[in-house]
Order: sequence, then C-alpha cells, then structure tokens
Amino acid sequence: MYKFNQKLISAVVLALSITACSNDSAQTSTDKIAEHKGTSVSEKVASAILPSAQAATYEEITIKTGGFNLGKPASKEEIAGWHIEVSHGHNLPPGEGTAADGEEFFEEVCANCHGSFGEGVGRNPVLAGGEGTLTDKMKPERTVGSYWPYASTLLDYTHRAMPFTAAQSLTWDQTWSLSAYVLYLNDIIEDEDFVFNAQSYKEVHMPNENGFVRDERPDTHNTRCMKDCKDPASVVVKTALLGYGSGAEDVVEETKIVKGHEIGQKVYDATCRLCHDSGLAGAPKMDDTLTWEHRLKQGISKVHKHAIEGFAGQTGVMPPKGGNMELTDDEVKAAVDFMLKDIEH
Amino acid sequence: MSDKNTVKDQTSLNQQEDNQSRRKFLSQAAATTAVVATGSVAANNLPPNVPEWQKHLGKPVNSNPYGQPSKYESSVRRLRVPWLTPDSIASISFTPLAEIKGMITPNGLAFERDHGGLPTIDPEQHRLMIHGLVEKPIILTMEDIKRFPNVSRIHFIECPANSAMEWKGPQVGRLQFTHGMTNCCEWTGVPLKYILEEVGVKPEGKWLLVEGADSASMSRSVPMEKAMDDTLVVFGQNGEALRPEQGYPLRLLTPGWEGNTSIKWLRRIEITAEPSYQREETSKYTDLLNPRDPNRKDLIGKAYLFSWIMEAKAIITFPCPEKPLKEHGKYVINGLAWTGTGKIKHVDVSFDGGITWKEAELNGLVLDKCWTRFSMPFEWNGEEVLMQSRATGEDGYVQPTLKQLRDARGVASIYHNNAIHTWKINKNGEVESVQV
Repeated sequence: MYKFNQKLISAVVLALSITACSNDSAQTSTDKIAEHKGTSVSEKVASAILPSAQAATYEEITIKTGGFNLGKPASKEEIAGWHIEVSHGHNLPPGEGTAADGEEFFEEVCANCHGSFGEGVGRNPVLAGGEGTLTDKMKPERTVGSYWPYASTLLDYTHRAMPFTAAQSLTWDQTWSLSAYVLYLNDIIEDEDFVFNAQSYKEVHMPNENGFVRDERPDTHNTRCMKDCKDPASVVVKTALLGYGSGAEDVVEETKIVKGHEIGQKVYDATCRLCHDSGLAGAPKMDDTLTWEHRLKQGISKVHKHAIEGFAGQTGVMPPKGGNMELTDDEVKAAVDFMLKDIEH
Repeated sequence: MSDKNTVKDQTSLNQQEDNQSRRKFLSQAAATTAVVATGSVAANNLPPNVPEWQKHLGKPVNSNPYGQPSKYESSVRRLRVPWLTPDSIASISFTPLAEIKGMITPNGLAFERDHGGLPTIDPEQHRLMIHGLVEKPIILTMEDIKRFPNVSRIHFIECPANSAMEWKGPQVGRLQFTHGMTNCCEWTGVPLKYILEEVGVKPEGKWLLVEGADSASMSRSVPMEKAMDDTLVVFGQNGEALRPEQGYPLRLLTPGWEGNTSIKWLRRIEITAEPSYQREETSKYTDLLNPRDPNRKDLIGKAYLFSWIMEAKAIITFPCPEKPLKEHGKYVINGLAWTGTGKIKHVDVSFDGGITWKEAELNGLVLDKCWTRFSMPFEWNGEEVLMQSRATGEDGYVQPTLKQLRDARGVASIYHNNAIHTWKINKNGEVESVQV
C-alpha cells in the first residue's frame, strides 16, 4: 500500500505559508514590505483608520490568539439536520421496518429503475442476485447481496440519495423497510416480517463482508526497459472489440430539431426526458397517447399549470417545473407543447 | 458508414457546417465578384490578396464581456458517451484532450462526473459544517473560508474510471473517450489543516466523512493523514470562481487521489474514528480482482478497498484518432503524463509496439501531481506505426503494460486502468486505438 506522506510542496506560495507556520522568524509578506520601505504610506493610512489593525504571522493567529475564530458555533439542532450518514456499527438511525412493509413502496417507487426483483431496468443498478459471480473472469455481478460489505451503506445511500428524483424525502421507517426488502430480495433477510432496526442490525450478515482487502498497489512491477523489451512475434494487434460496441453509433445523439419546438425540445431533453422517456416515477411517456388525451380533456392550460406548479396524481408525482426551478413558466409550457405536439388537442 | 466514421462525424460536425457555409459563401462570392467588377467582397483571403478582415474595423472592445473562444473552435467541447450511464443526470463528460494546448485544462473543457446532477448553489446560502470528534463544531460561510490562508496549486484530477472501458479490449475509438476523464487546473483554496486546527480534532478522530450538497449528497471517507497533508478546500479554478461542474462554490481537492474523493459542492466534514463505508467506497470505486498471475490466486474474487492513489500514466495526444496525419513528413509528437505519487521523472515513447523505447523530452513545468507535457520529433513516411508512451514517476514506479495489469487484476476491476496505450497509425495516416 502507498504511503501518502509524500513531499507535498508544489508551489512557492505554499512553501511560504508553511514556513510562516513553523518558523519563529517568519513574517507575512506585508511585514516584509513594511520592513523594506520603513513605514509605508498605505500603512499610515490604514493605521489612521484602523488603529488596532496589525499584520500577524499565521503562528501568532493560530497559537497565540487561539485561532482565526472564524465562523459560528454549530448548534446541536443544526448538526442534527445535516448529520445524515449511517455508518457500520454506529450512527444507526431511529425507526424500523419489515420487508413486507417495503414491498409495496418498492414496487411503486423503486421498481421503475431497479426492476420488481431488483434486476435493474436498462442500465440502472442491479440490486439483487449475482451470488457466486465475483470470481467470474468476465462478468462478475456486483449487487447489494453479492458485493456490498455492510448493510449500513444500503440504509445510508437509500436515505441520502434515493429515490433518484427526490433525494432525502424518505422517512427512516421507509428507509428501514425498503432496505429490508432489498435484503429480502437477496435472501439475506429470509423472514418478510423480520423487524429491521438499530437493535436487529447486527443479526443481518452480508455475505461479502470479508471480501475486501487493503489496496496492495503498486501490484505491477514494470521496468524501464529501452530495447529488445519483447519478442517481435508477440506483438499482435487487437482492434476494436466485437460485441462490445465501439460506442460510436450511440455517441451521435439525436439532434433532429422539431421545427417550431426548438425551445420546448431543448427543455425536454435537459429536464423532462429523464422521467418521461422511461416512465420513471409514474411519469406518462411521451408516446402514451391515451393517457395524454385523458389529461387534455381538462384543457391544455390545466396541463401547463400542473407542469409549472407540480401535481401529485394517483400514479405518480410531477415535481414543480420537473424539478428544475430555473426554468421560466414559458419554457415549461414550451416543453409540454413539444411533448404533446403529435396529440390532438 | 463504419463506426469510426460516425464518431468522427460528430466531432467535425460543426467544423463541417462551417466549411460548408464557407464553401457556399466562397462560391457565391466568386459569382458576385464576376458580376460586380469592383470587388465589394474579397473572394480570396490568401496572399497576395489582402484578407477581408484586415480591410475594415473589427468589433468594439468588450463586445462580449466574459469572452469566448473563436467561432472556428466550436467543435472543441466536452462529450458524453450516452450508453455508459443510465441517464444524463448521473453521468460523465469527457475532456477533449486532443485539443488541449498546454498543461492547463480550460474551465469549460474540464471533465465532469456528477452522481445526482449539477446543483445550482447560491454562495450566500452555502455553508460548510465541521463537526464530529472536534472541540469546537463550527459553520463557515464562504466569506469566512476566504479569510483563512489560501494557496494556489496546479494539480490533475482523474476519475478512477478513466480508461475503464478498455480493460477487455479496445472499445472506444478516440482519445477523448479512452483518457478524457481527467483535467488539470490551478486550484485556489485553503489547506484543510488550517480549518481542522481551528476546530481542534480530538485524538480519536482519525477519519473524515466529506459530503457534497448535490442531490446524491456525494460522500467519501478520507483519512486524517491525507487531510493534514496536502488536501485543500477550493473556491478558485484557473483564476476564476470554481465552475458549477467542478463544485461551485466550494470543493475538496485531494491531490493525486481518485477524483471522487475530491468531493464537489462541499457542505460538511465530520471527524470520525472509523471510515464511514459510503456507497462510493464499497459498492463502487473498489477494485474487484481476478488475477491471472498464479501467485496472486488467493485474491480471486477479493476487492481492493480504499484504492486512492492514481498511478502514473502517459498518453500521446498528437497524433491520435481525432488528429490523424494528413501527409508524410516531419512532426512533433505531443503528450501528457501524470502520477498521483509526485512528479513525472521520465516519459518514453515506442514506435514498434513496445519493443524499443526512446526517452521523450519533458516540456515546461514539471510539478507534483500535475499534468506534464512531453514531446518527441518524428518523421512519418507512410508506414504503419504502433505508437506507445510510458511514464515513470520520481518514486521509480513505471507505468505497466496492459498484460502486467491484467496479470495482477484480471479484466473486470473497472477502476484504475493506467496501462500503456497503443495508437496504430495506418498507411493512410488515420490513427486507430488498438491493443498489443
């Protein structure tokens, strides 16, 4: 493993500041200027305005006067609001839940991306399965069950960043029950009524907990060979892999602009597409004509209003302006009009 | 149309448009000149004619108060690989390395990896909280932070997934995608140790949980030793405020370590006794091993934890797939090299797929944990060439071959692929990404 106490000085400025910290005779540049020029004009002016202002070394500030005294003390309440992480063995959150509690919510909120069985939709993360694949040379499957060392990470990330479109919206009970359900999908929690909470946490054992070793790099030992470094016959050229796709065809993103919908299309691509292309979070897809026709019965202005102000429906939630509050109302309307351009209204 | 051509088409799209309109303009102009005898439009800006732009006044000073590159540079931009990530929010853009003219990445071209999209943060309302195992938990405003002693240092940042697509074989046919998850900027900020001294770390405080204010609340564990060494809390990038893509208004910078530990939009530092085992240091950014080396078979199925250092890497940026050779003759090969352990000591170049090597010249500044430019004169007479570059750090570490890396780790560990890369110059001057 690397030691990282390398020499760190890369800039003269830093060298100066470190010297200033560690050397009694060190002075700030202001001091040095004053020394060279005697009492400078600017210093006289400054003294006249601010008689107590003085140049000081970092050491004087940090040690003799008890620090920079910057910022304000963080109160317990302030810390509590931001102190969100869940760590293995400590910092376990309050609340509880069971896999049975989590199932319905998972289906409603998570399955759009992660699949009903945690199998992953599209390129979204696979949450379950993959047991025994970590030794597979080509396609090991790293899932919560097969790879993650600690269940705390599942609680942590679910609460911190999920659902993808509404971070930090889950209660701790929801977090415990969704995590229990994901562990249930992985056969790590076997009883769907097992109450998952801070007390029972230690009863849950992640199969790959001991699958990690400290970084052993450098783990290659090349030498600076300059000639006859290998047998010319061994130089076999391998060109683009077949079957993996060069990515080239996908790199060309659809750039066809629909006339009259330039703004709307741009807004759609940047903000709306994420959910409305895939149906994420219950969002109606662009080509779901029946659903849109149904909504349009209320009139286009109502659809505009819901897009701008947000709307919680039976099947999903539309966040105000699709979650991008920087959009103007007109931009949101243009995006709606672009989405509905092929639907009669 | 082949895949490669399709890629090329995209980069040169703007350029082609420009060329097309220019051709159109030229042919129209020629017609006009033929009709109107006293030339109102110059058809030819080349000698001996006086160029059009020299005959009339240019735009007023400060027409564009922030400035922007010439319109003829509009094809120089970051690109995504759409299939790489499930969506365009938690995604990656790549630096166009073939277009970088020095050792600094312009702010608009610095690669970006976001896990929950790009937040828009009002600096007036941004706060950095430091708490946990400290004597004095505090909350700092941006103004407070700027009153601490600050320094400016030039360092590279590299995503550990840079070149990840190349483990199993050559997969993405351009430099921007094989090596573009790196940038190198001048970063201005406060050495974190000053802030830690201010709050008074308790003796049992050995780790930091660092956390961003994006919707992923991106978070990592960093050991105290690194925090007290060269870690910075950064607000400036290449002389201006951090760009939003780089964490505006505040980010962490852990020089030489995998990019993800340099948490962007930094809002919280908690001092802890143990690492917090966040998602990005367990389920991701760990290196699953399947060594081919029989002496390492006990590591099959195990994974490196906390593999922070970005090891030495060199890459030729000219010629490359985006910058083919257009004619026979003399050229200067250019490239970039860097290592997370310190300074670059040597870069060697091979033209025969790694059989013989010659030391390249290092150009300009050679700084700690920083892109270093290298070059070598080269004459091309139309033959096929297998071109490679190999970096050696001042610690003596030599960049490995792909075979050595696969022997040590297999082909499915995703991260930290710093293998020697091969460009094949074809007889027609085009450059292909291959492996030998």
